[in-house]
Amino acid sequence: MNKWVKRGFAVSLAGVMALGLAACGSSSNGSSDKGHLVFQIWDQGQKAGMEAMAKAYMEKNPDVTIEVQATGWDEYWTKLEAAATSNSMPDIFWMHSNQIYKYADNGILADCSEIVDEKNYSEIAVENAKGSDGKIYGVPKDKDIIVLLYNKELFDAAGIAYPDENWTWDDMESASAEIYDKTGKYGYMAYSHDQLGYWNFVYQNGGRILNEDGTEAAYTEPATADAIKHYVGIQDNDWCPTQEQFANTGASEMFFSGEGAMYLAGNYELVNLCTTYTDMNGKWDVAMLPKCPDPAEGEGRASISNSVSYATAAEGKNKELAMKFLEFLASEEGQKIQGESGAAIPAYNGLEDTWVQTFADQGYELTLQNVVDMFDYSVKYVNNPSRSAWEPKVEQTMLDIYGGNVTVDEGIQKMQDIVTEAIADN
Amino acid sequence: MKKKARFDQDHKWGYLMVAPTIIGLLVLNVYPFINTIVLSFSSTKVFGGYEFVGLKNYIKMFSDAEFWRATWNTILFCILTVPLGVLLALVIAILLNAKIKGKTAFRAIFFLPMVVAPAAVAMVWKWMFNSEYGIINTIFHLNVNWITNPNIVIITVAIVAIWSALGYDAVLLLSGIQNISKSYYEAASLDGCTKLQQFRYITLPMVSPTLFVVLIMRLMASLKVYDLLYMMVGEGNPALSKAQSLIYLFYRESFISGNRGYASAIVIWTVLIIGVVTAIQFVGQKKWVNYEV
Repeated sequence: MNKWVKRGFAVSLAGVMALGLAACGSSSNGSSDKGHLVFQIWDQGQKAGMEAMAKAYMEKNPDVTIEVQATGWDEYWTKLEAAATSNSMPDIFWMHSNQIYKYADNGILADCSEIVDEKNYSEIAVENAKGSDGKIYGVPKDKDIIVLLYNKELFDAAGIAYPDENWTWDDMESASAEIYDKTGKYGYMAYSHDQLGYWNFVYQNGGRILNEDGTEAAYTEPATADAIKHYVGIQDNDWCPTQEQFANTGASEMFFSGEGAMYLAGNYELVNLCTTYTDMNGKWDVAMLPKCPDPAEGEGRASISNSVSYATAAEGKNKELAMKFLEFLASEEGQKIQGESGAAIPAYNGLEDTWVQTFADQGYELTLQNVVDMFDYSVKYVNNPSRSAWEPKVEQTMLDIYGGNVTVDEGIQKMQDIVTEAIADN
Repeated sequence: MKKKARFDQDHKWGYLMVAPTIIGLLVLNVYPFINTIVLSFSSTKVFGGYEFVGLKNYIKMFSDAEFWRATWNTILFCILTVPLGVLLALVIAILLNAKIKGKTAFRAIFFLPMVVAPAAVAMVWKWMFNSEYGIINTIFHLNVNWITNPNIVIITVAIVAIWSALGYDAVLLLSGIQNISKSYYEAASLDGCTKLQQFRYITLPMVSPTLFVVLIMRLMASLKVYDLLYMMVGEGNPALSKAQSLIYLFYRESFISGNRGYASAIVIWTVLIIGVVTAIQFVGQKKWVNYEV
């Protein structure tokens, strides 16, 4: 081979290697106060809020730069998992209760017990940040809750009063029937979902999905089974769309196009709904979940509450620096900035109003006090370390019940067996 | 002596030149494949925890009705998409080869679906197939549950799959057709052959190697169907449990439930099916693919 060609080849090879080395070099920063932190989240809608917090922190700590990266939900977990396997996780990242056991129990998350003073935060948010060993593996970020959305125009057209705090399941169902009769539009749209569906009904009825410490399934307990039967039965009414219809057109799409009067949503969806359907502003509102009229136990009130945490890797390269930023995120100051961004209700006690105020400031007409008041009887999102194994199968069984492939009783027994088996396998 | 040194030199450079490809192949294909085989005999979870369990995953898999349903769905999907898809692509390739005005524009139009992201394709088609508000039921005055009827949903997805692959396959076949020398057709028409005879005795045999490649590619892609199903059927659809493909099942087990070991067994089974089908194709091709030009 021509010697010039060889030389050129060698030079370019060296160049490629140098580039590789340079790329390696830039990512390690040592443990001084100076540094660059990467902060990864899964919600584009909350990016501005996270950046506001990062900015406030950077103003106090000029030597630190923080870059917020937002991806989609599915991509987020694929990336995070790969990063965890190769120990190249982002410096700070969101952790969801769906996933926290998997990460915490495998020693991937840093212990945050020292920077989280439990009494300052919502009890549920703290519980959601714990691993199986009871240690806190993240800073509680927010708390959410399930609310009833209703279309004022359809209620007006049917000439019935809006839902209030005394509403029961019966009121909701008779209102649905009336709306359907008078306007031809659907009433309450009960789609197959756990967190946004039957779980709420189960806990309102005094039932439960798992026992206290998450070691046993409770699907076959009478209070639970009755509530599930009731929820599934709602679909038999003419005023409720079928699951086939929901698979074609989601409940929120039907709601905001005026085809249905009520459905359950998470409060975390409200900002997006307000900004997406601006022309619907003032035509819909949020209400407390209706209570169970004759609960097997308790007051008949419940709403599922979940939360997100901020976490960092146990073996992170910038762990020290990341911990300091986490401390800021945990502080009242940091949490307040988050609340003011409107994306989520801060986990920090007493900051609900910062979130409520943002909606009013932007002119969105929602009675958000209804949302805040429900935290008095909120129920922690159902979770245990084997949830990822049973959840998809239970969800499918629910659809089999709806599809008539199994009877409700068989389905409930099947869900009980699925969860029991998953717990045993774990 | 001198000659041998020269030979070694050349060898060295030869290896060096193919090294990037070979290393890439080993690291990105061979190693993961072997690793998957190893994993399929273990109860590995997301972050390791390797534990050898012998044939347990396979026994669980073969005794699972859901798994057999997924296998059948995958094969059914191939039967629905491959023959019809390749045939349509061939017809379109021949039409695109005709001497008509705006030929280039037509070619571009047919190729467009290939440029669109699969997720966007699925979203738009899902709206078109919407049973209440969709354009398809409206125009044809139908009342079909395209995406929720367990017996129809596979056909629905197959229609979309054929549509999105059509352009690419047609362009490949078109290039095959254009490589055929004009002199054959001239000779044939002098001998009084009809257009149909020309197609049967000239075009088809001459394009058969390309056709074979397209067929193999389409088969493999169809056996691996996942993204369209994920986007169009999705969670909360009562037909989902009846419409899952093997790779969908793999996705659920591996990425949602975190059972890497069991999920690996599903993949190995899929690889076996693809291997067998491809082997049959390669044996069968001797009968119809013509490499003598």
